[in-house]
Amino acid sequence: MPSSKVMTAAEAVARFVQPGAVLGMGGQNIGRCPMALTHEIIRQRIGGLTVVGCNLSLSMDQLAAAGLIRRTECGTGNLERFGTTFCWRRGIENGSIEIEDYSHLAMVSRFLAGEMGLPFMPVRSLLGSDLLWAPDGAATPGKAVVTENPWDPTERVVLVRALCPDVSIVHAQRADPLGNVIIEGFATHEPEMIRASRRVIVSCEELVSTEEIRAHPERTTIPFMYVHAVVVQRYGAFPTSTYSYYDYDGAQISAYQDAARIGPPATDEYLRRHVAECATFDDYLRRATDGDRLMALTKAMQELM
Amino acid sequence: MATAREAAFSRQELMVIEAARQLRDGDIVFVGTGLPMLATALAQRTHAPHVVMVIESGVIAPQLRRTPISVSDPKAMYRAMKLGTLREVLGCLLQRGLIDVGFVGGAQIDRYANINSTQIGAPGAMKRRLPGSGGANDMASHCRRLLIITHHEKRRFPERCDYVTSPGFLDGPGGRARAGLNPDFAVTVVTDLAVMENDPQTCALRIVRLMPEISVDHVRAETGFRPETAPDLGVVPSPDADVLRTLRHDVDPERVYLKSEDVASPVRR
Repeated sequence: MPSSKVMTAAEAVARFVQPGAVLGMGGQNIGRCPMALTHEIIRQRIGGLTVVGCNLSLSMDQLAAAGLIRRTECGTGNLERFGTTFCWRRGIENGSIEIEDYSHLAMVSRFLAGEMGLPFMPVRSLLGSDLLWAPDGAATPGKAVVTENPWDPTERVVLVRALCPDVSIVHAQRADPLGNVIIEGFATHEPEMIRASRRVIVSCEELVSTEEIRAHPERTTIPFMYVHAVVVQRYGAFPTSTYSYYDYDGAQISAYQDAARIGPPATDEYLRRHVAECATFDDYLRRATDGDRLMALTKAMQELM
Repeated sequence: MATAREAAFSRQELMVIEAARQLRDGDIVFVGTGLPMLATALAQRTHAPHVVMVIESGVIAPQLRRTPISVSDPKAMYRAMKLGTLREVLGCLLQRGLIDVGFVGGAQIDRYANINSTQIGAPGAMKRRLPGSGGANDMASHCRRLLIITHHEKRRFPERCDYVTSPGFLDGPGGRARAGLNPDFAVTVVTDLAVMENDPQTCALRIVRLMPEISVDHVRAETGFRPETAPDLGVVPSPDADVLRTLRHDVDPERVYLKSEDVASPVRR
């Protein structure tokens, strides 16, 4: 049995996130984005990343604002009511970010292939659409292959390639020191993505004992063997929400979006104040909120439960 | 008795109410955030209490109490029967064929109901990047019925989409079958000017109902292609006062999605 994987965000990111890595991004939209781990990647300036996931939102856009993304493979980039992911959009439009587009089911099917040790997975989405092709409209082999069902040639499917991120970052509710992870509430594409990844860093709201994991094994979403680092970080998804712990903070999401909409130098200034000048995520939380704000977000979640 | 104030309604309110009317009691609806969620919640609270909502973040059968602003907003999960994964809802319900209606918001929609939410400009000649497919391609690929709610503007209704993110009827009759998609498919588009549905023969969107005081010419002037009219062209009925009250006071009381400026210039019965 391995020993404790608990470490700081700085240690985990320095050990497991390499420049040029394919980075699996957890969370969806304004829920459970791994913000503490993302801030650490920005502080350590680890660039040339290929960011992959289903819906990429605040955490991805801050990496884009920091100039650390070379490419994304995803289903969407946006923040719904808070607007689009402006830095990502700017990067695609000016050619600094390459993109490979999929539907959300096609992306999760790629992780599903990866987690089961298969080279590809059939889906019945994408048929007839321009998502089958490369961004320039060319029918490049390698993105998706339309083929027929060998048992019923009248039926057509699309094969999409397995996707195994070099490292994934996820924020969860609870984990034990060995890396057993409990995700509560909606889980998006994370179970498939985590099990497909070569390395996984999980930040969590609370560290629980392995005895507690053993007492309720049915609650374990991801067993320890997939996870390489456990970072304990209260409010580690702030300003996005963590189901059953705290609601999202609309004002703080908007504060970033106001800068992102403008781009540099507003985004540089945002990242300097909220990331670079903060030695830890707790420093950022102190800077971005007064003491009552985090408690109010916790109360708001309790009222929703 | 409805008061005079209740009797006045905005075109956006009627659009949401008319979209809600499209849902049948018991339908399992795969629903996007914004106006689709409002209309589905309204249907649940009025004529279709057994409508089941499915949300792509993994939420199955919630009973919305307050208006969520995202598929991952905790408010979208209120009293759900299951909080699962994206694969469970997009794969095991939608691709599996267990969803009756896919319900999406506005984007670019062309004559054959193809949807673009990826980019303005053709592949290789992008002018503006949009958010992308999300679950929309999956919904359009696997639902038997696609319901679209959007404001009616010429730029949203081109003759042909720059980029087909989500398949409607593709290039017309037989298009879906040729691509390997289920041909058993129907589209309804509810806008603030009209309701359009696919012509069963030509597959092109045509006007089936007009919003009150809106003419066919008005709709055509705001549409990038020339929609035909259905033989039994009708008018969208005005809302019942109690439905309007439910929409305003129970479904979106904070007016997160219902625009207040619309009420300032209401349509009157």
